[in-house]
Amino acid sequence: MAIEALTLKAPLHPLDKYLRLTRIPTLWCPGCGLGVLLGCLLRAINRRVEEEVLKRDNLVFVTGIGCSARTTFYVDFDGAHTLHGRAIAFASGAKLANPDLELIVIGGDGDIAAIGGNHLIHAARKNMDMFVIMNTNFIYAMTGGQLAPTTPLKVITTTTPYGNPERPLDVIKLLSVFEINYLARGSTTHPHILENYFYKALGLKGFRFVEVVSTCPEIFGRHMGIRDAIQLYNELKKRIIFKPKPKPEESMISWEKGIIIGEFMINNYESFIELIKKTTYGIEN
Amino acid sequence: MKRVFIRGNVAIAEASLVAGLKFYAGYPITPTSDIMEYLHLKLPRYGGLAVQFEDEIASINAIIGASWAGAKSMTATSGPGFSLMLEGLSLAHITETPIVVVYVMRTGPATGVPTRSGQADILQARFGAHGDYITPIYAPSSVQEAFDLTIKAFNTAEKLRTPVILLSDAVIAHLWENMIFRDRDEVEIIERKRPNTDPSNYLPYKPEDDGVAPMAEFGKGYHILVESLTHDERGYYVPTTEVQRRMIERITKKILLHIDYVYEQKTYLTDDADYIIVSYGSSSRTAKSVVNDLRARGVKIGLLDIKTLWPLNEYAIKKVCESCTRIFVLENNIGKFVWDIQRIVRDIDVIPVSIIDLDLPDPDEALKVIEKWL
Amino acid sequence: MGLSKEDLVYRVIRNNNDKFRVNVLIDRCKECRLCVIVCPNKVLVMSEEFNIRGFHYPLPLHMEKCVGCKLCEYSCPDFAIYVEVIKS
Repeated sequence: MAIEALTLKAPLHPLDKYLRLTRIPTLWCPGCGLGVLLGCLLRAINRRVEEEVLKRDNLVFVTGIGCSARTTFYVDFDGAHTLHGRAIAFASGAKLANPDLELIVIGGDGDIAAIGGNHLIHAARKNMDMFVIMNTNFIYAMTGGQLAPTTPLKVITTTTPYGNPERPLDVIKLLSVFEINYLARGSTTHPHILENYFYKALGLKGFRFVEVVSTCPEIFGRHMGIRDAIQLYNELKKRIIFKPKPKPEESMISWEKGIIIGEFMINNYESFIELIKKTTYGIEN
Repeated sequence: MKRVFIRGNVAIAEASLVAGLKFYAGYPITPTSDIMEYLHLKLPRYGGLAVQFEDEIASINAIIGASWAGAKSMTATSGPGFSLMLEGLSLAHITETPIVVVYVMRTGPATGVPTRSGQADILQARFGAHGDYITPIYAPSSVQEAFDLTIKAFNTAEKLRTPVILLSDAVIAHLWENMIFRDRDEVEIIERKRPNTDPSNYLPYKPEDDGVAPMAEFGKGYHILVESLTHDERGYYVPTTEVQRRMIERITKKILLHIDYVYEQKTYLTDDADYIIVSYGSSSRTAKSVVNDLRARGVKIGLLDIKTLWPLNEYAIKKVCESCTRIFVLENNIGKFVWDIQRIVRDIDVIPVSIIDLDLPDPDEALKVIEKWL
Repeated sequence: MGLSKEDLVYRVIRNNNDKFRVNVLIDRCKECRLCVIVCPNKVLVMSEEFNIRGFHYPLPLHMEKCVGCKLCEYSCPDFAIYVEVIKS
């Protein structure tokens, strides 16, 4: 039981086989929730690949613009780093052109729910076959800290210097009106739970959505007066309320009252691809 | 091969099927919606799929995604929709994605007159998207040309791995004419180059000697990176002047290397002409009528009908015009293509004949302007 | 073009007990210290030395208390620490 110091050849970390190692370390800040999110996602993918539910070469990561969107830099899969807010549209086209592909869209709360909001709504409405992961850090981090649709009331950001006058958006509640197959919220403070949500979603068809509440110490933490990664992590963890199967009406994402994580919807509705096959090509399942 | 009597938009739709279209994404917009409706019905019979999306922004991004999944893809729109597609077009350029955008010009600006024509958008088609790039643009003046140039648009997109615009207008869209329909085995159909190396050696943006990089697709184990940031041959973001220059050179040079393939023009009675009318799209039909009228009066006048609005083979244009005394540029806008001709021919008098008309310019009106300058 | 996976080498600091080995790829660490605080048994201690980027990194000092829960591995944003189960 002694500390050894060695130099070893890659791959070392169990997830190294899924990473573009020449681009590691990531550009994400120390303590950024995105690295935790990516670790959970890759572990979930690994489980599904080993079970032969998914084929690694069929997976395509599609991202828009922002810190979350840089994920495509680091993963050794087919990937597309596209335009701000348009990842869902790009992914829809790819899936419809080749239904064998498995699309994973990763974006921030601004990319997916603000500029990409229209595409989000219609992809969910159609139960379009894709897995969308939204990283909620409550701010536009990459561009320096502007208001996001999820930023809490009264918070000071670079575009709300007198305090945020806007009510924030609960994307879970928004998407709950649609007939989608998976709707969950997780947190990077609870990586085991998050990995399981990713694992579940990867085994379903249709539209699957996981909101990941995440720490952004440098930008959001700074706006809240909590710049230390550990402090922000603890503050976020304090507010997490775990409910295994909450109803969408119970969803809450508030820095004052609490953040509920759990699986809000798990269904087996017909997916968009299945409906197209049925209507356009007369192929029944 | 058979003779058919159809309208311009249907010719475009049928040509796309002949060319191998597999994915169409679009949004309703007058005067182009019938292309989308026609393809919604017919494309599944060819093993493809047409989907109406929530807006034009989704449409252009979806067809880029579909192209990277290996499908020949297309969208069709008009002025207001194309304005929304500009960022997407920019993405297609930096990622070198083959797509065809059918742009049926209508009266503008803004909502204008949705059901009528204009040619005000030629510079927007050329330069509307941000950044440096060259978009090949083909402009038909007849239903036959709408068919032929749509096939050429697909071939250009696949051959040069670039977005291409088929620039029609509301006149050609719903004009019924005879045309010769040629099927798949009767025309040249070009497919994109696919990589001939295994994934570990493949670089998605490294051009071969013809200036074009082979294009892999999702799902084949190549682990490709479609990248909207400035990137090197691997698709990795490298924000340096050297890489930016190399990338811009790559995407522009590959078009210019093939200008002889891309550029097309038609001449009518220009060999002995003292005067030439330069025109394009539906305005060429007016110009031809004016040429015929003036020739009947003994005036030696000809027509230079431009089929490729961009890039221009300046030498080819100059050659036709060099022995003229005066050149007229007839167009249905405030005068835009005339600037190119003035720049290209330089020491010959170039007169703009800008006639704004909700249909094609009236030949009598054009004749009145031109005969004053003879 | 350039380095492939197989060319890369990493400096590793590791320690083990009978059942588990904790490995730290020290040059990937950004000193966020999340691993240190999520560990339920306070196995990890930040080093005095710096890695190649100027960050302190975790040392798996108290392996006698390590139960292999892998919370450090799962909470690390940088793929810098992982736990192996050793066959005994």
